This record gives sequence, structure tokens and C-alpha cells, in this order.
Amino acid sequence: MVSEQNVLEPETRVDGHGDFLYRYALSRVRDSGAAEDLVQETFLAALKSRENFTGQSSERTWLVGILKHKIIDYFRKVSRERPSSDMEAGEDFTERFFDKKGMWKSDTAPSEWQMDPAAVMEQKELAKTLEDCMAKLPARLSHAFQLVEMDEIKTDEVCKVLNITATNLWVMLYRARMSLKRCLETNWFHKSSEKEK
Amino acid sequence: MLNCQKATKLLSESLDRPLPLYQRMLLRMHVWMCRFCSRFEKQLLFMRQIFRHYEKQLSKDHPSPDSASLSPEARARIKKVLQEEESSSG
Repeated sequence: MVSEQNVLEPETRVDGHGDFLYRYALSRVRDSGAAEDLVQETFLAALKSRENFTGQSSERTWLVGILKHKIIDYFRKVSRERPSSDMEAGEDFTERFFDKKGMWKSDTAPSEWQMDPAAVMEQKELAKTLEDCMAKLPARLSHAFQLVEMDEIKTDEVCKVLNITATNLWVMLYRARMSLKRCLETNWFHKSSEKEK
Repeated sequence: MLNCQKATKLLSESLDRPLPLYQRMLLRMHVWMCRFCSRFEKQLLFMRQIFRHYEKQLSKDHPSPDSASLSPEARARIKKVLQEEESSSG
């Protein structure tokens, strides 16, 4: 017997949490269609396992937990869709940053960053810059980086998700970090120091 | 001895696993002597902090007027799928 309460519940949840889950998914997968699918899968999974929600955390926290698992599944799926030669996609920085002796070139060598956490992390504009810099990465590098740095998953688990070796992963993370560092330097930390003048 | 290119690779790796002692010693020597790689090391660690903080902020969600949201079509579609699932499992 389906009570009125049960019929209303799924819709109420979508209204209450749909936009939030969508925003989270979009930030992680950068594709509105994929983000919509992930939100749908999350609500479906929540519906099927609602007995598992014990109320110890908020409903939103529970839903975001489900969504994060779906996002990891998505990364797993994407990594298997392409041939392994794509695995080490991303720029080879050798020539851009280092001279023939392997030393930093003067124009792209690390500059001093203003690294006061309060000054940097409280600024809302930083989120946009981080997203823009991540969007520049090839998808596979972005996924590897996110699993390690945002989901904080251990190396061997990440390798299983992405179906790569640890050596592949080190290379991908190195390229992601070099690219992001440079992007942040150019678009955030240099601009900050200009503001102070 | 390490050059900066090798040092940056090792610095990146050291974020995710402990390096063998010999590599660690070579790396510390190089970083001690090279101001660029010294900065790079600090920047890698700071980036880690920034991105972890970013993820936590995403989980909390502070929407602004121009934040993304589900399109009306997507919202309706999701509700419909949920209703179908609800009624099929009775």
C-alpha cells in the first residue's frame, strides 16, 4: 500500500537537494548531461536504499556520499572507454619549463606565492579559478588528480578505479600538478600581487 | 645529483608515497640548494590544502544567484523516473 507520504517523498527530495547535487556533480565532471545523469542515479540509489539512512547525518550529507560514489564509478567507466595509449595524455612539460640541462627556465620558474591560508582560501573567486584551471586538464588527468586530492583515495585504489599502474598514475599526477601550478600562478597568485601594488 | 626536472618529479611522487632513502637524500640536497624547487615544494603542499578545502566547500554549497541549477526538463525527468521506480516496486 503506497501512502501519500511515500509518493511525495522522492519529489520533495529532488526539490530540496537536486540543485545542490547538480552543482557538486558539475564541478567534478564538467559535463551537464553527465551531471544530470549522476544526480538521477543518486536519487534512484537513495530511493532503493532508504532503509539504510539511519538519520545519523543529515539527508544532504547522506545524498552527497552516494553522489561521490557515483562520481567515482563514472571516472571508472570513462577510463575504460578509451584505449590505453590515451592513458598518459597531457602535456609533456619537459621543454616548456626546463632547459636542456633540466633546470628551470627563468620565465616559467616558480615565483613567490602569497600562501596565507586565510587570505587565499576565503576568497570565493578562487573556486572559479580552480575550476577553470582543472577544466584545462585532459579529462583523464583531471580524474586522477581529483581522486587523489579531492576524494583522498589511496594510490592502489585509484589505480584500480582508473585501470592503470602506479607508474602511470605518478606521471599523470605530475603532469596535472605542473599544469595546475602554472595556471594558478598565472591566473591567481600573479594577479594578487598586482592588486597589492 | 638531481636536476630540477628530476627533482620536481620526485617532489610530486613524494606527496603520494614515501621515497626510498637514497632518493629522499638527493632530493633534500637539491631542494636545499635550489630556491625554485624549494618554492615548488611549498606550492605543491599548498595546492593540496587548497583543493581539499575546495572539495569541502563544494560539499557545503553556498550558492550565488548565478550558480548552476538543474534545468526544468532535467528536474521533471528525474522526478518521473523516481515515480516510476516507486510505483514499480510498490
